[in-house]
Amino acid sequence: MNAVDLIGFLIQDAFWSALAATGFAILFNVPKRTLVGCALGGAIGHAARTLLMQTGVEIELATLFGATVIGLVGVLFAQRWRVPMTIFTVSAAVTLVPGGFAYRAMMGIIELSTADPTASSTILVATIINGIKTGLSLGAIAAGIAAPRLLFFRERPVV
Amino acid sequence: MTEQPTRKPPLEREALRDVIDLSLWAGQLLLQHGAESARIEETVHHLGTGLGADWMDILVSPNAIAATTISGGEFRTKIRRVVAIGVNMQIIAEVNDLSRKVSAGALDRFQVRAEMERIDKLPRQYNRWVIVGMVGLACAAFSRMLGGDWPVFFVTLAAASVAMWVRQELTRRYFNSLLVVVGTAFVAGVVASSASIMKWGAQPQTALAASVLLLVPGVALINCADDLIQGHLVVGIIRGITGGMVCLGIALGLLLAIRLMGVSGL
Repeated sequence: MNAVDLIGFLIQDAFWSALAATGFAILFNVPKRTLVGCALGGAIGHAARTLLMQTGVEIELATLFGATVIGLVGVLFAQRWRVPMTIFTVSAAVTLVPGGFAYRAMMGIIELSTADPTASSTILVATIINGIKTGLSLGAIAAGIAAPRLLFFRERPVV
Repeated sequence: MTEQPTRKPPLEREALRDVIDLSLWAGQLLLQHGAESARIEETVHHLGTGLGADWMDILVSPNAIAATTISGGEFRTKIRRVVAIGVNMQIIAEVNDLSRKVSAGALDRFQVRAEMERIDKLPRQYNRWVIVGMVGLACAAFSRMLGGDWPVFFVTLAAASVAMWVRQELTRRYFNSLLVVVGTAFVAGVVASSASIMKWGAQPQTALAASVLLLVPGVALINCADDLIQGHLVVGIIRGITGGMVCLGIALGLLLAIRLMGVSGL
């Protein structure tokens, strides 16, 4: 993919992720003035992951990077809008959920229950791989979001 | 024990009662609407000390919070039962704002009570049809990100919107929250199966995967991670289990839909 195509692809990706993040922000009833921040967070975070995946990085590591970007943006937006950071990180992080892998892992398990024993080993391996990818990506989302706050924006505990 | 740098005047009986009542009320609202344990602990502490208590200890558990206020030689403890209602970020933001004002000494306990009453009664900001449409669009956007084409986009839009409406209706009728998840996933699956049956789009299964994403327990799982990292292990584990059960509910609803419609999942 050349540079112009890549930029076009990233802009599309950012647009869809912004829409997804806004939808979830509305579901979570975020304050109206923060909706823009939620959309931006989703767009930047997911586009960061897509960019990395286009360069050949696997989804788990790319998700860790995307989530770290969301965590960073979340801290900055929380300071800017004076609201809890969760508002931005949760809405944006939903865009990183590995829905495709989770779905295929689930369907694989169901398929295994009815599969022909001689043919089931391929399904089994595919299901395990999809399951692991789902689990690791979810872990990466959690770790990535927490990382900036744990590393750079530490505060003295109050309690 | 932390020594207080400047001793505050001891609170009267009535004031002490108000301090613990108000700060625990704030904690209850936070736990009900999806705040992480560290935030609940900090907010309750800030509110209590901001209203004149010397110190405040808080115990957050998955479905109750307990707090002790200390002032002069007196102390009081109260427990409040909390039932999770659903995510509402506006209430969390408002309580956060209130605790900041109280810490700065801008409000007394009577003003705080008036504010809490207002926050407790805040109506949802978005009209229910706006929520239905936007959640539908969000899932449809997901189908594009998962590689779906335009036919899949529109099927997902329809499936997720109908599912969101069903979710609102079931919740309104006090169905068990896990049953709501199963029912919603089932409806999403039935509508999204039409893509596979009519052979719309290159990968019609993408509609099935994307249309149930509105049920993803994002807040539960992120709070779970937050709590575990920050040492609130009990609450964290419970949130993880809650999130896991929601995921199983999604799988069950989707499975029922796929078998009923007779489409292939993969």
